[in-house]
Amino acid sequence: MTTPFKPRRARRFIGGYRPRIDGLEKATGRALYADDVATKHRFPDMLYAKVLRSPHAHARIRGLDLSAAEALPGVKGILTYEDPEVARLRPTSAGWTDGVDTVSYDRMMWKRYCDRRVLSDHVCWVGDEAGVVVAAESEAIAEEALRLITVDWEVLPFVLDPFEAMRPGAPLVHPEISADNILPADPVGGADVFLDKGDVDRAFRDADVVVEGTSVYHNANQGTLENWCCLAKWDDDVLSVWSNSYEADQTRMHISQMLELPLHRVRVICNYVGGQFGRNDTGDQPFFLFTALLAKRTGRPVKFKHTRREAFHDSRQPAIYTGKLGARSDGTITAAYFKAIGNTGAYADHSMFALKFAPAEVAEVCFAHIPNVKLEAYGVYTNKLPACMMRGVGNSQLNLVLGHVVDLLADRLEMDPIDLAVKNFGHEWETLPDESLAAVLHEGARRIGWNEKRRKMAPEGALRRGVGFSFHPGWHAEWQELRRGQIQVAMRLNPDGTVALEAPTVETGPGSNTCNVLGCAEALGYLGIRPEDVKWISTVDTDKSLKDTVQTDSAVSFLQSEVMADAARELKQKVLAVAAPRLGVEPDDLDIIDGHIFPKDSPDQGVDFREVLWQGDLVPIAVLVSRKPAAERTGVPYLATFAEVEVDTSTGQVRVTKLVVLNDCGTVMYASGAEAQQIGGQCAGIGESLTEEIVYDAATGVPLNFNWIDYKIPTMADMPDIEPVLLEVWRGAGEYGACGIGESVLTCTPRAILNAVHDAIGVRIDEIPVTPEKVLRALGEI
Amino acid sequence: MARKPRRGRTAVPTPRTAVRLRVNGAWRELVLGRDVEPSMTLAYLLKERLGLTGLKVSCDEGACGACTVLLDGRAVLSCMMLAVEADGHEVVTIEGLPPDDPVVEAFARQCEPGHGTALQCGYCTPGFVLTARALLDDNPRPTVAEIKEALSGNLCRCGCYSGIVQAVVHASERIEGGAR
Repeated sequence: MTTPFKPRRARRFIGGYRPRIDGLEKATGRALYADDVATKHRFPDMLYAKVLRSPHAHARIRGLDLSAAEALPGVKGILTYEDPEVARLRPTSAGWTDGVDTVSYDRMMWKRYCDRRVLSDHVCWVGDEAGVVVAAESEAIAEEALRLITVDWEVLPFVLDPFEAMRPGAPLVHPEISADNILPADPVGGADVFLDKGDVDRAFRDADVVVEGTSVYHNANQGTLENWCCLAKWDDDVLSVWSNSYEADQTRMHISQMLELPLHRVRVICNYVGGQFGRNDTGDQPFFLFTALLAKRTGRPVKFKHTRREAFHDSRQPAIYTGKLGARSDGTITAAYFKAIGNTGAYADHSMFALKFAPAEVAEVCFAHIPNVKLEAYGVYTNKLPACMMRGVGNSQLNLVLGHVVDLLADRLEMDPIDLAVKNFGHEWETLPDESLAAVLHEGARRIGWNEKRRKMAPEGALRRGVGFSFHPGWHAEWQELRRGQIQVAMRLNPDGTVALEAPTVETGPGSNTCNVLGCAEALGYLGIRPEDVKWISTVDTDKSLKDTVQTDSAVSFLQSEVMADAARELKQKVLAVAAPRLGVEPDDLDIIDGHIFPKDSPDQGVDFREVLWQGDLVPIAVLVSRKPAAERTGVPYLATFAEVEVDTSTGQVRVTKLVVLNDCGTVMYASGAEAQQIGGQCAGIGESLTEEIVYDAATGVPLNFNWIDYKIPTMADMPDIEPVLLEVWRGAGEYGACGIGESVLTCTPRAILNAVHDAIGVRIDEIPVTPEKVLRALGEI
Repeated sequence: MARKPRRGRTAVPTPRTAVRLRVNGAWRELVLGRDVEPSMTLAYLLKERLGLTGLKVSCDEGACGACTVLLDGRAVLSCMMLAVEADGHEVVTIEGLPPDDPVVEAFARQCEPGHGTALQCGYCTPGFVLTARALLDDNPRPTVAEIKEALSGNLCRCGCYSGIVQAVVHASERIEGGAR
């Protein structure tokens, strides 16, 4: 049975098990999402927008006949690529930022890959937004209007496979950007060989043992339950956009820059969002723009919402990795080489974040003690769904090969892979072994029964059992969040002792709103405040809110709480300044503990702070703190997943019977929320490992399973027993020194399962999802 | 319910002009062609026309369970049913459960160590709550296996399945305890 987590330092509220602050609001259905706001009920004159989707994998529109659509009753506006307000829009990308910060058009992250036109006449995958959008009185009318549009298509040759796409003579997806479909080097991602330390070739020659393996990670879909949705409404020259983007300030900047509107004439409002998982990391979406332009043209509010099929809008970056490790016979790794070929799909978006940026971060904190390291990656355009961000961006793909070659090397050296990992991996600011890595691996081994089970479980008929693990460095310590710039929070202490907390972030599910309330109550411990006394404001409205701390990188759980610790100190001085004249004492001579204000020289003569504040003008005491995250380079904590599987060698079926998910958090901010991440992440973790995969028809490029019947997301009945283990070993900077875990909880799952499958059947499978067919083929049965 | 013409008779059924259904305790009369179209789903009627936004539509094709409502006490997918099919029936959406409903409270409160919370983003939650409510009305003391079977038509991408099972177990204990 699970042992509840015990914090290394007891605090009042931080680190506790407790209900979420939004539990009742969500369980009663009162929590409002974009689709709940954008209804006819609230906006009776609202129109619905539908965009034409390309039926071809690669094509150009030569012309459009709109006459029948325009004549359809209920059609109120049609916008095409030929309209001046569309044609003048600058080329763009759906990857302006790495998710966390706000940037202008000129400073967008992947400037070389401006491969998207809004409502383009050039379409690059089956399902691409194509050249025309309709606004109508109902969705059905808008859909019918699209059917009535005659499109003169110039069908172009297409390519789906990245290796074929790299061959000379292959159809070019974006010839203006790449003459061989390979994404050119970019200032952010770097050259094709983006890390080259020491001399790997020589080190491999000199090594006692060299192992090499490959791994294939497919294009999973984020699968948020809430589909993209926005409502655009103009009031004179002010544009309001309700959206379920998790990044209100960025969305405002994107719209402002693309439509050339001053920032104060764009208002973006976000409330609760039904899941993120990286899907919204393409917040710079063309549909915001054409929806706004349609609203302008029609003079009515316009809603745009994806259907479930359209919600297959981007995917995890698929990656075919080659990995190689060289070591001395004592198990000291001397060389590491990883090369990725990534199927970027139709648009570059954040491919290079997954293929270069994230692996470079891993190298810094995991390969620091390996003297020779080379990392190389190629993103390749094809005519498939664009690959982009998904929970564990880049790390999941790299882990699939890292855990593979570590297991291979351990086998060759006849070492326990746990010992091999602990001996070699850690960050540059410490001597090995890394305490955090050792802790997650040793605790995981204990919980799964590693020593008793590995290579030791007896077959039972056709059933084979095995255990495996994989490990990975975390990547959301405070120093890694500097790109966010200033983090803003405000507290208003009401005269009755309650608090209005403004720690704006769009709550997409991970529970950072609860973390923020706990952080606020913790920081105001000197007032004796409880979480129940704190009101968190769920709506982010760029007209009224501070800048929202973007709900990504699983780091909002602590980033705002760190700033709240400063805000609370400032608030304390203000409370004392207000209290001093009322008590006839100098502020410096006063202190507050547990809500009790007292002269320092006579602690027993104090009064409750509420009594003091409930005098005079009753004006709330407000503080606003805006500061950057701490820059101190503290390394990162580690995480690991251990899996136990059962393989039926007669059917090829793999059943995961147990997962142990371990995260060193530095400080656990909210135990129930953190465990919910560890357990919950396995829905995608198990799905990506065993059942989820987008399938295409090779002859046409048509995706075949953009629905939840054929794209199989695990249900309750499919999930194994999962044991969440929270640890506090490593420590970061600041009051809490925490590290985000929400993204990383599923990073190690596929490789842990694959290594367990190898332990069970003695054969290695390089590719996920591990379908029965792959298992039977590996066993030589088919 | 629309009356079926008897076999062998040639009489044309009287054209219907309205649909009557009871939504969260109140009878609603909806005029055909104005409030409700023949092709309109029950989900659309409830959410878009009646403003019951606690109802969530996600896949809109019967694969996720997010739009679950109670029809005469049974859990049904409102995206897979036409609004006119609900004529004469009793519909309960999440708004129809009191905030102190044991199932609602159990989902909201779940924080038992080792299981996580019973919800994160909350988008699937109304559907899960109503499916669990129907299960417990039918079988007040289900086993864990029965809970998993009954709720396996609902997807939670946040993956709070373990917390949801605990919430249903706790709701069951409270319902059973209160009944005794």
